[in-house]
Amino acid sequence: MLEIKNLHVAVEGREILRGLSLSIQPGEVHAIMGPNGSGKSTLSYVLAGRDGYDITEGSITYNGENLVALPPEERAAKGVFLAMQYPVEIPGVTTMTFLKTALNSQRRERGESDLDAVSVLKLVRAKAKTLNVSEEMLKRALNVGFSGGEKKRLEILQMALFEPKLAILDETDSGLDIDALRLVAEGVNALRDPSRAMLVITHYQRLLDYIVPDRIHVLARGRIVAEGGKELALELEAKGYEQLVKEPA
Amino acid sequence: MTLALNLDRKAEAAAVVHSRGMPHRRIEEWKYSDLKSALGEKGLGAVMAEWLVGNLPAGVEMFDLAQPNPPSWVMAHVARPTQNVMSAASLALSAGGVAFRVPEGAMITAPMKVEFFGAGHVRALLVLEKGASLTLVEGVGAADFRNVGLEISLGENARLEHVRISPNAPDAVLVEEASLHIAAGGRYRGHFAAFGSKLARMELEIALEGEGAEAHLSGVAVLDGKRHSDVTTHVIHRQGDTNSTQLFKHVAAGQARAVYQGKVTVAKGADGSDSSQTAKALLLGDQSEADLKPELEIFADDVKCAHGAAVGDLDAESLFYLRARGIPEAQARGLLLQAFLQDAIAEIENTDQRELVRAELLTALKGIA
Repeated sequence: MLEIKNLHVAVEGREILRGLSLSIQPGEVHAIMGPNGSGKSTLSYVLAGRDGYDITEGSITYNGENLVALPPEERAAKGVFLAMQYPVEIPGVTTMTFLKTALNSQRRERGESDLDAVSVLKLVRAKAKTLNVSEEMLKRALNVGFSGGEKKRLEILQMALFEPKLAILDETDSGLDIDALRLVAEGVNALRDPSRAMLVITHYQRLLDYIVPDRIHVLARGRIVAEGGKELALELEAKGYEQLVKEPA
Repeated sequence: MTLALNLDRKAEAAAVVHSRGMPHRRIEEWKYSDLKSALGEKGLGAVMAEWLVGNLPAGVEMFDLAQPNPPSWVMAHVARPTQNVMSAASLALSAGGVAFRVPEGAMITAPMKVEFFGAGHVRALLVLEKGASLTLVEGVGAADFRNVGLEISLGENARLEHVRISPNAPDAVLVEEASLHIAAGGRYRGHFAAFGSKLARMELEIALEGEGAEAHLSGVAVLDGKRHSDVTTHVIHRQGDTNSTQLFKHVAAGQARAVYQGKVTVAKGADGSDSSQTAKALLLGDQSEADLKPELEIFADDVKCAHGAAVGDLDAESLFYLRARGIPEAQARGLLLQAFLQDAIAEIENTDQRELVRAELLTALKGIA
């Protein structure tokens, strides 16, 4: 589904990713772990199509298509979803209006008809309930005055609503207490599906207790330095990153 | 024969115009709005612009200022001496206009619609007596050059909501000066939507003259091409426990220029006054310009005055967030621009007028997003 080959990415002339390769099949959950500054967030932004990230070498293929050539909105319509580490606050746009606009934009791009306000509301309400997203939150301006946990829950609500094929979760655990983390993880696990791939990006092993990955990749200095099954997370927790990310002699 | 705009008053005003001369950009208050060069050789002229009352609600009294023998309420309030050069010009160079009175205690629910049109100068007076209330919807027709001198007097506890939409009129030069006197407990809410002209300027001078008097000003401007819009305010807290708020949001694209100059004066002894001023502008083009100048002048103790101004571009992070959720770029930009203007629009209490302004903004935003 997703094939990243020898990816080099520079931001403002500084190389952040230096030859990253990664392959994810439908139904798989992969985790990317790594210390601060290893390039984790850069990878998530590059996959979602943010401006300012220059791909200097390598390729990203998504379902056989060159992902790099597509603007962010087309990637979204084709099923790429990034749950962001810091969801933005947009005063003046209600959460519900935003959800409806986004959902219908994706549908339109795929040649599907718009859903009316009532249908969207029904759909959102059904998903909101399990994620403990209140009616009141949906009426408020997007993310404005939301707690860290509320923002992350809303990200997962969007993931449930848009039903992406490739979901990237960027530090979804950051800023969450254990109850909030459990709730978010349950939301994510409910969306595990044989047709859906997930890439979970995290600094800490903690999240992977709840969202158990099929495969773990350790990112350091812009490339994958170690790979393994879920037991690798425990090893990292015990030994720390230092040993793994040491410059090769 | 008595005239409201009599020769003595006109002579006095003419002297002000003569001594001050035509406003140009080297005069501080006109720095961003060069009227002299906008008018060119034609100058101020001396014709009379026109007015039209679209809807005169029952209970509102009207008087044509060109007619002889004005009633006492007109004489009590009309043509007060002014040092404002363009307000003086509207008096000196015009023979007429219109006056309205809402009698004591009358609560008028239907909006009163008045439109100014044609080129030249025109005067208008609106008197709300004690406890009266009204919604004034002011229409602005395009013209080569028009200057409106408006006077508003609010009696004790009177309430006025004023909505003015200045059209997208690229070749027009439209200036207006409103001078307001607000008695104790009186409340004025003024909303100014502007789509820009060759030169467009709305000037407000508001005196809060009694305890508990309030003025709440808000405005939005969406400008493209070479259009210009200027809102210049001066709120004077003459008495204590008075309150004023200002919230202006401007969007400028192309080579457009949005101007906000706002001065708040708290007079000596006006303790307990409360004022806030916020002006923000988004610039969408490399050559767009916004000039925001909030100013405070405080002579009293124990006052609360806040002001802020900010000029920026659309937030790149917000734009990416919306696009990453599938919203196409143009639509995402439009959504963010609407969101930026939203709180200023929300200040309009009259629902019909608020939705009308919103609809016009949406149309204008479609053109530039």
